[in-house]
Amino acid sequence: MDILFLLVPLSVLLALGVVGVLAWAIWSGQFEELESEGQRIFQDDLSSAPPKSAADGQA
Amino acid sequence: MQATSFAPTTALPVPHSSEPAELARFRVFDAPQEWSVFSRAVSRPGAEPGRCWESQLLVRGMHCAACSLALERALLRLDGVLEVHASAASGRASITWSADLSRPSAWMNAAQAAGYELLPASDAFAADRGRQEARLALWRWLVAGFCMMQVMMYAVPGYLAGPGDITPDIEKLLRWASWVLSLPVMVFSAGPFFRNAWRDLRKRSISMDLPVALGIAMTFAISSAATFEPGGVWGHEVYFDSLTMFVFFLLTGRWLEQRLRARTAGSLELLMQRLPDSVERQAGSGQFERVAVRRLAVGDVIRVLPGEAFPADGTLLLGETFADEALLTGESRPVARLAGATVMAGSYNLAAAVEVRVDRLGAATRYGQIVALMAQAAIEKPRLALLADRVARPFLLLVMAAAAGAAAFWWNTDPALALMAAVAVLVVTCPCALSLATPAAMLSSAGLLARRGVLVRRLQAIEALADIDTIVFDKTGTLTEAAIVLRGLHTRDGTTHAEAVAMASALAQHSLHPVSRALVAAAGLDSRGPARLADVRERAGQGLEGRLGSPGLSEGTGLLRLGSASFCGVKALPAERLQVYLADESGWIARFEFDEGVRPDAAQAIALLQKAGFDVQMLSGDLPAAAMRVATQLGIGRAEGGCTPEIKLDRLKALQRQGRKVLMVGDGLNDGPVLAGAHVSVALGLAAPLAQARSDFVMPGGQLTMLPVMLFQARRTMRVVKQNLWWAAVYNAVCVPLALAGFLPAWLAGLGMAMSSLLVMANAARLAKIKERY
Repeated sequence: MDILFLLVPLSVLLALGVVGVLAWAIWSGQFEELESEGQRIFQDDLSSAPPKSAADGQA
Repeated sequence: MQATSFAPTTALPVPHSSEPAELARFRVFDAPQEWSVFSRAVSRPGAEPGRCWESQLLVRGMHCAACSLALERALLRLDGVLEVHASAASGRASITWSADLSRPSAWMNAAQAAGYELLPASDAFAADRGRQEARLALWRWLVAGFCMMQVMMYAVPGYLAGPGDITPDIEKLLRWASWVLSLPVMVFSAGPFFRNAWRDLRKRSISMDLPVALGIAMTFAISSAATFEPGGVWGHEVYFDSLTMFVFFLLTGRWLEQRLRARTAGSLELLMQRLPDSVERQAGSGQFERVAVRRLAVGDVIRVLPGEAFPADGTLLLGETFADEALLTGESRPVARLAGATVMAGSYNLAAAVEVRVDRLGAATRYGQIVALMAQAAIEKPRLALLADRVARPFLLLVMAAAAGAAAFWWNTDPALALMAAVAVLVVTCPCALSLATPAAMLSSAGLLARRGVLVRRLQAIEALADIDTIVFDKTGTLTEAAIVLRGLHTRDGTTHAEAVAMASALAQHSLHPVSRALVAAAGLDSRGPARLADVRERAGQGLEGRLGSPGLSEGTGLLRLGSASFCGVKALPAERLQVYLADESGWIARFEFDEGVRPDAAQAIALLQKAGFDVQMLSGDLPAAAMRVATQLGIGRAEGGCTPEIKLDRLKALQRQGRKVLMVGDGLNDGPVLAGAHVSVALGLAAPLAQARSDFVMPGGQLTMLPVMLFQARRTMRVVKQNLWWAAVYNAVCVPLALAGFLPAWLAGLGMAMSSLLVMANAARLAKIKERY
């Protein structure tokens, strides 16, 4: 069980890291609006041009 | 005044400008001084510092998520608009734009063209502070939750292992890890408790947070000592898992309460959007220019166009018009405003453009007072919490004494047990059931009512509402509507009713006067096709006149007049109701009679109340004949007309002497003392300075069918409050002896406390939903 001497402190560090990421998430406003982001999937993505079809080059 | 010639009226001509008035409205926001109200400067790569602005707007017209996308697309097409974020859920949009390439009026116009209206969000930065607090609360809660779960992981081996299964050094390791992860909880999440407890100690008062903070501090101290000095006097056991769990559940309770409170306050925002953004002001040169309402000063001369609202209290200098003051006084008939008269902020200019000198602005206006009162009602709620704390005070003192007693009792036998018993007593006694029971239920109900259009000014009134057995209504403005309805019609031989209404409404279409609106409403689908009229003019205080363009509609041709008897050159007949005449050059055509309409839901509301067993009565200051007419129409048994406010108060006192609990429903105009004297009062509409109204509930929308719902909800609320109080009593009676005797381990105490407060909150939350039975 000696491995625990490595794993437990590692888990503490990881947990503290997660708390830090949580702080970033909250203070950069990730939790502000939980509804509209979920609806973004229904919106058309116009930022990229539609792929050219293979038939374009021929005929 | 006899009008025998067809001279033009004294109204001011509407100014011709090169662009429509709506678009001119947006120009006001192009002035850089305006930007700081709803925008702030931001920096964007590739742009000079200070040239990019991020503006917060309210959006009208978004119905769904796709609308936000449409708005974003419409605005991004413009040059100079860098980023747009619109949210249909919150009804807001944020636009980042470059001051070099674009102007607010440009993207406001674009939004209008796309079908949405953008309004500057002047509360954007007040919302900022609320957002900061919300983020902090979320942060504390999430830290507590996450650390709680981790610490539980470290604690589980301790519970599952038999004695001797875990070697001491591993045990120490696990405890050390738990200690480290309890630190964020102590520092961040439990911060408010310690701060409030410190404040209590300094002020020599006591609130719920003091025993909680003591309990947390002691638990942490004991557990830390056990971690670093296992053989010491503080004992051998650690309670980090109880500690973190306990803090987490407490924060959950508080967070839910915050959300509930925020939802109730949100309904006030509707009131805030009544004043116009901009108005035409006379500059030094005598020219009128459009400026933002915020820039007005007392003494300015402004020009208010028909259809606009008056932005300030003032004196009419030039012109005459009608003003619709129903919003502020409950008076449904428009009031003629001639030169020298005063106009009120928030009322609508109906007839003609007028020049007004500004006398009072902002908070000094009656409208401003109403808004301030509503805002104050929103923050008055915490007083109830303070009251509950006062009641909980002796209880908490008892708890502290009991904890000290338990510690003293057990000290000689087992110091560790003594301390834990003390902590258990501190933690398990849930004064939150006591403090939360009433406010949680009241807030929940207040939230439900607010969503249905009933604003609660005093939370305690909900409790009083549950005892009501008699309801007294006022008539004018309460049971009758603010609008006028066409009631009677007499025509001369040869003209049918439909023709008369068609002719009258052809004239009336050009006016915003409520009589005109009533005629247009009456014409509705009855008219025989639109009549063409030319040269329509409206004279304040007299009527409308126009020239017929379509022959065949009446025997005479030429001028048609709709208005008072003298205006039409007709002898007036004495009558109870408002009379309006229609005449042409050959004489009288028709006489219209108008009356106040009874609210469509009044009959249903009264029937429901009577069926539920309430005694419904009516007291009115109007003529007895009119009062009896309405009473019989609505099925009210006991009604009395011709009541002055003194008589009304007399009748009210008589009822109360009989031991009845009376609910008074009025429009607050003349009923100030009566509303104050009743057990509970409801003010319909936004009549009269609410500062004088002293009512407990305000129903701006005037839905009378909400009254049975309110009474039902009040009874439900008191039932829930009683349930909560019973639960608090039973729970404490059972758990405190257990804790004193040392049978309650810390984790169970923490769990019990948390579950208890959650149960109270959940019970209260039931009140937020109502099954529709009406």
